[in-house]
This record gives sequence, structure tokens and C-alpha cells, in this order.
Amino acid sequence: MSTLPLLPDLPDHQIVACRHGQAISRARFLRDVLALAQSLPADRPLLNLCNDRYLFAVALFAAISRGSLSLLPNSTTPETIAALHAQQPDLLCLFDQAEAPFDLPRLRIAFDEADTAPGAHFPTPQIPAGQLMACVFTSGSTGVPQPHFKSFGRLRAIVLAEAERMWAAAGGPCAVLGTVPFQHMYGLESTVLLPLFGGGVLSAERPYFAGDVAAALAALPKPRFLVTTPFHLRNLLDAQIDLPPVAAVLSATAPLARELAEQAEQQLGAPMLEIYGSTETGQLATRQPTRTEAWTLYAGVSLRQQGELTTASSPCLEQDIVLGDVLELLDAQHFHLLGRGADMINIAGKRSSLAFLNNVILRLPGVKDAAFCLPHEGETSRLAAFVVAPGVSAHTIQHGLRAWVDAVFLPRPIVFVDSLPRNATGKITAAAMAQLVAAHLEQKP
Amino acid sequence: MTQEQTPAAAPDTALEREVAAMIVSALNLEVAPEEIKGEDALYGEEGLGLDSIDILEVALVVSKRFGFQLKADSEDNFRIFGSLRSLTDYIAAHRTK
Repeated sequence: MSTLPLLPDLPDHQIVACRHGQAISRARFLRDVLALAQSLPADRPLLNLCNDRYLFAVALFAAISRGSLSLLPNSTTPETIAALHAQQPDLLCLFDQAEAPFDLPRLRIAFDEADTAPGAHFPTPQIPAGQLMACVFTSGSTGVPQPHFKSFGRLRAIVLAEAERMWAAAGGPCAVLGTVPFQHMYGLESTVLLPLFGGGVLSAERPYFAGDVAAALAALPKPRFLVTTPFHLRNLLDAQIDLPPVAAVLSATAPLARELAEQAEQQLGAPMLEIYGSTETGQLATRQPTRTEAWTLYAGVSLRQQGELTTASSPCLEQDIVLGDVLELLDAQHFHLLGRGADMINIAGKRSSLAFLNNVILRLPGVKDAAFCLPHEGETSRLAAFVVAPGVSAHTIQHGLRAWVDAVFLPRPIVFVDSLPRNATGKITAAAMAQLVAAHLEQKP
Repeated sequence: MTQEQTPAAAPDTALEREVAAMIVSALNLEVAPEEIKGEDALYGEEGLGLDSIDILEVALVVSKRFGFQLKADSEDNFRIFGSLRSLTDYIAAHRTK
């Protein structure tokens, strides 16, 4: 079986990460990875819950070099983790918080700030290309999260293709700052693996407010690369603060309005790039929306259509995957994105689906019928729910949902109705839903 | 009626009401500003139940109206959003306008 190096072939002293202003060399990173790998048990799935992106990366790469699979659940609500533990009784939780977030068998990871010795040279481990390194989850329509396994060789290849495009636009490898969660595919690929596989610099910081983004960028070596979403980008630009120069900006998770892309390029003085992909497929294509509406596929990716359905094939995919979105194919390398899958909900880099949310709310005590909807598309979209539940309060419903779903997917408002306009097959048509929204959720003047 | 300020309206209470009204309007909440009490939690399960997206929206409005950028440099990111009063105190201490 063919093997590949865990990390790119770079000098020991090359800076590969930055943490609270401290530059971390390739030798130090590899030493941290190998030290943790030694203390990991064999053959146990790992739940990587580290908050610090550097420690997350150390835990991820330690797992790879130990031959262990890292599980990256798409939400860390108590019920989701409990369900995962029930499926994987061997689960070992890696965390860096002061207190363990869950009552699971666990191992705490810390960063030794006093350790500044240049350290010895370690040979780079060779990893079997087909070894499974990560399992990411989609919410699934039945309430059970669906696992998607990613092999080391394929994930590495897809990220190297990304690096080629990103560094070309930015003028070379960059220090990468992300405002997106890295347990999800986009954040994993673009804020963790892109700098580490692509010869850039990973940033441990997870800035939140606009002022934090500016400070975190300033603390990184040039050139800098910002990974964000339309939601975070809009918030950052609206703050109208001085930002350190960036070489390029990347957005994904929801289509970027051309007007926002233009504003970003003008205000930041850097190319604004966009990635198209999904949890199932990883990234498939990129574009610079101020230049062209068309997306350009990565080399090796091909699409084919049957009716409305588009299927992707690629040497980077374990199997052919049907996309949830509506595409118009232009030629072998280009397509237009006509519409996102109606069921998929993506808010600020976190992903869920209406089917999953509806499934959860319908299981709550006292709820006779219910339907989530997304009344207004936009960068700050907020879900609403119509609920038939006599005698149940909105607070009780929010409380019940909170155990299963991330807070950004909680409905606001919850509208109590006597019944829902289901048709003969039990479905609520788009038109019926639009009427409900118009009747109950008209925007205040 | 006169335009005089009544001494009973202590400055922090006035600011607290202003902040409450600002949050309600920025997030289009269905609650009336006067229903939000000083000790009510803003973030998390209790009180207003704001989430991370709301907090970012509120931070933007705060920076515009009061002339300073919020920082979240520690693990207790949203401690200042613990209650309406803690946010108000934070604004009073950092405002430049």
C-alpha cells in the first residue's frame, strides 16, 4: 500500500503555526504530535473537542500518526455526544478546556509555553494513503447523524489542490486565520489542513468580534489569508475598522452576493475567493465572484447530470456522490450554481437540515405537529417554526431543542398554530409555507 | 412638565434602558425593552436566550453607537453578555461617545 508523508517536506525551523503571538516551528509541531501519539491508546476512536486550533491540529495529527480515527460531530450538544458515545463505547475524548466538557473517558491536552527549545530532528512519519483519518457527520433526515469517512490520501490531495488555487491568488503560501468552526468540513479543510499540508502557517486563534479579527490578523506574519463566511464577512466589513493587509479572503458555506464580494475586495484590497463543496464531497470548485459567476472544478473532478440531479466523481472521493444542489453544467470544468438544496441549512459555518430539525421538534413531548422554515434568505437568516402543541410553552420547546441542536438553529419566533396546511400526502408545499410565513411573519415596518 | 432630568433616573439605569432598547431593535425581538430586567441573562438558555450570531450583531451595534470594539480574548468570551447590567457596565466603562 502506498504511503505519504504526514507533513510536507520543509526545514525543521520553518514556522508552521502561530499561537498567542508565539511562532511554532515544524520541528516543535512534529514533536508535540509525536509526544501525544505515544500516549494515545491503539484502536480507539477519538473525539477531538479541542477549542484551540493549534491543539486541535496536534490532536488530529497525533491520531493520524497513531492510525486512529478522529470523530468530528457536527454539534456538541449533550444528546448528540451521548448518542455518539452509545454507538462508539470505546470513544476517547481529547479536550483542552479547563474542565472536561463531557463525562467520557478522556485525555486533556495542554500547550507547554515554557518549552522553547529548538528540539531534536524527528523523521516524518509515513501514513498509508488509504488510512481513514476523520469522520465528519451530516445531520441526516431521520435524526441519526450520518457519518462520512475521509481517508488521509484523499483529504490531503483535495487540500493540496485547494492550496494551489489559494496560494496562486494570494501570491504564495500564507498565514491562515479562520472565523469558522473547524469541526466542520470547510473549517477543517481551509483553516487546519490548508496551512499544514500546504506549507502555510496555522493560527491557533479563533477571533469572534470584528476587533478580534483585526488583532488576530495583526499578530500573524505576512502574507495573511482570511477564511470566513458571508455572515462573518458582512459583520467585519460593517464594523468599518482598520484591518491589517491580507493577501486574499476566502468564503464558503453560502453563496456570496456579488455586491458583498465587491465591497470586500474594495475595503480589503485583496482578491475575494469562494469555495463550493459539501460535507459529503469536501470542496469541489472555486471562483472569484467579482470576475465570473461560473465555478471552476478542481482537476480530476467531473460532474454528470440526470434530470435535476448532479453526481460528482473524483479520485479524491471514495465513491460517486449525488449533490444536494441544482447546477447548470457549462463545460467539463465549469458550472453555474442555480440553487442550494432546499433542505440544507447553513448558518455562520454550521450546518443542519430542515428534515433533521423537524424530526427533533416532532419528538418533543406535547408537540402534535411542527415545521421549521427559513423565512428570509440572507447573510443573517434566522429559522422560524410553526408548532401545533396546545398547552406547551415556547420556552419548553426551545429547551427541548437545545439538547439536540446548536443554538444558531433554534427557531425565532415559534409560532403556535391550530394546524399545519399539510396536503393529501402529508407534505407542506412551498406555496403553503410561503402563505404561512406571509400570514404570521410579515416583517415589522 | 419640564425638560429637567429627574434625579431618580440614575445614569446607569438610563443607559441600561437604552441598551435594552438597542438589543430589541437590533435583533427584532418580540419582547418589549422594558420587560428585560438588569439581572436577566442575555446569552445562553436563561433570559433572552441570545446565541453567538446575535452576540455578533449586538457587538456591531454597540461599536457603532458607543465608539469602541468589543473583545473576546478569553475563554469566557461572552461573560459581558452574562446580563443586561454587565453589558451596560462594560459599555459605560469603554464608551468613547
